[in-house]
Amino acid sequence: MITAWLMAGLLFTPLAWAVLCLLLDFSRGRLVSCLGITVQVLVSLGLWVAVAREGGFLYGLGGWEAPLGIELRVDGLAVTFILLTAIVAGACGLHASVYLAPDNAWYRYFWPLFWFLWAGLNGVWLGGDLFNLYVGLELLSLSAVGLVALGGGINALRASLRYLLAALLGSMAYLLGVALMYGQFGTLSIAGIASLLPETQALVGPGMAMALMLSGLALKTALFPLHGWLPPAHGIAKSPVSALLSALVVKASFYIAARLWLEFGHELGSTAVAQLIGGLGGAAVIWGSWLACRQSQLKQVVAYSSVAQIGYLFLLFPLTFAVSDTASLQAQQGMTLQVVSHALAKAAMFLAAGNLILATGSHQVAGLAGVSHFLPFSLFSFGLAGVSLMGMPPSGGFAAKWMLLQASLASGQWWWIVVLVAGSLLSAAYVFRIYQASFVAKTGVDDFYHPPGSLEVIPLLLALMSLGLALVAEPLLSVMALSLETGGAP
Amino acid sequence: MKRILAVTLPLLASMALVLLLGASLWSIAGSQTPVNLPELLAGKMNESGVNHPVTAVLLNFRSYDTLLEIAVLVIAGITGISMARTASLEDPELRTSDSLLYALQRWFIPLMLLLAGYLLWAGADRPGGAFQAGAVLAGCGVLMRLGGIPLGFLRPGLLLRVGLGLGFAVFLLVAVLSAMAGEAFLAYPPGMTKPLIITIETVLTFSIAMVLLALFVSAPVNDAGAPGEDDS
Repeated sequence: MITAWLMAGLLFTPLAWAVLCLLLDFSRGRLVSCLGITVQVLVSLGLWVAVAREGGFLYGLGGWEAPLGIELRVDGLAVTFILLTAIVAGACGLHASVYLAPDNAWYRYFWPLFWFLWAGLNGVWLGGDLFNLYVGLELLSLSAVGLVALGGGINALRASLRYLLAALLGSMAYLLGVALMYGQFGTLSIAGIASLLPETQALVGPGMAMALMLSGLALKTALFPLHGWLPPAHGIAKSPVSALLSALVVKASFYIAARLWLEFGHELGSTAVAQLIGGLGGAAVIWGSWLACRQSQLKQVVAYSSVAQIGYLFLLFPLTFAVSDTASLQAQQGMTLQVVSHALAKAAMFLAAGNLILATGSHQVAGLAGVSHFLPFSLFSFGLAGVSLMGMPPSGGFAAKWMLLQASLASGQWWWIVVLVAGSLLSAAYVFRIYQASFVAKTGVDDFYHPPGSLEVIPLLLALMSLGLALVAEPLLSVMALSLETGGAP
Repeated sequence: MKRILAVTLPLLASMALVLLLGASLWSIAGSQTPVNLPELLAGKMNESGVNHPVTAVLLNFRSYDTLLEIAVLVIAGITGISMARTASLEDPELRTSDSLLYALQRWFIPLMLLLAGYLLWAGADRPGGAFQAGAVLAGCGVLMRLGGIPLGFLRPGLLLRVGLGLGFAVFLLVAVLSAMAGEAFLAYPPGMTKPLIITIETVLTFSIAMVLLALFVSAPVNDAGAPGEDDS
């Protein structure tokens, strides 16, 4: 019973807060939102503990069970990501409440969009129904587009429109796939389809559906070569928004793709497809990191670094296809750790970058000259997050890459190790490039704006969490592995 | 050469996509679906509170989807008005004051309102419902706006925001209250199903019309631009 209340709190608090904030202006919305963030963090923590203790369960909304109604799937992986969302979105919300100027009339719409975004994220993590996941994705994409455009000039509008068109194209491809799946199986429940798949003879329809859904989701996740929309959108948005988008929003579409692959991949996938997707991921790692080294604007460096880090996630596809169970489990654990550590590190990086831009008044990497002398704090958070992206121990990035490395070795796919090593070296290059720029001595005078302390503390805490992730990886992974089968459903 | 390629390649790609889709549709049409959802739905219709299967699915069996879809509409509305210049909502240049249009309106508007009401009511047992009625209501508003009737509530103030969020808020309230009454979330208490669905549909009609109208009225660009990060 208590879990049902937690579930409800999780799904409906963000929606209720969105409506509430719609009626208020920015400053009052800030007060209300801080309360809401507290509620969400507590509820997410409660649900995580409940699932860690008693195992996952299915939750039929409206008292109707699948296939007639919509069932939510509350398992270890879902609650891990829900807790991650609560931490990262909460931090971004608190940062935004200080970062955004309250006297700007447009920012009144920040809080409603922020809460709708959060509702969409929770909806996606818990979704067990193909169409419900589509609705969750739409909620997420549209509020993200709204946040990118918020209060910006013509450039922000251009970037957000590009983002909108890419996101819509991705959604349409996904929806077409859902329609084909429904035509073939007559149900939309993922678990239902997975149980029907082994007996199905004609696999042309479901195969096409799977291809459409995966390509749509790859576009929404900005997998190379479909990443063109990401850097402009993430680069031009306000820094707390960029952090939300890079840390969480792109993960949602990846999460759906991963869930589909793990459920349907055995029947509908093939080695060629798995290697192709992994190859694109590998290309994203190299190409994204290389471009990140060559950007002249600070936030573009961070945005291209996201393109690269997303690439690692797609190594999940070849590393779980037709391999031993241990290798597959290692790959899944590596993927989870990569999602968590990248979300924490990238949010810290964007928030720190926002502070640096605020301090120097310049978007250029070269504009950082002299900043290390007077503003070491934000730069330190940026560097700590960078350590995790490079994959140095004991960071979460290290644990993730170590798992992926072991999975590659165990499945005999040594070529992914080249990608892992090259990616780490290149990410070290772009992080050090920022440092190099900041250590250039300019003048002896401190003419920088000093952001309030709360703005500097939030990225530091996120970066520290990302750095120490490997130390708590054990309990985290044990909860993540709790699937519906191991736990007793209430 | 480059131009020919730019035309041929997308053409070939679309043709391949159409062929593949055709092949998969053919394959799907040839096989029986293992789950018969329409039959399952028909068996539960008497518990749904309405007589039309589409309305039953939208507002009862899959009401969570509908709730989130309304949220998507509200987001679209918010994003639209967040990008509008305040002045443009009241821009007199965008209005026509055509006397013929004005005369026609006096005939059309009442009829359209009646049609919207009918569509809303019809949703219970035949095609219709909040989305269709809301669209007609919004069309009505567009006509009034073009005809020079001042629609003061479309100013980006509290009233507009209340209107945008009202349908969604009532829907959400019903969902939460039904849980407090001891049922599951989004489960209507027995006996209350029909009145609750009608209440939700009515306020939804109003809010959907508001969203569509707000999107029509708000201009897309603000060239004032916020100071800060986007001047790169």
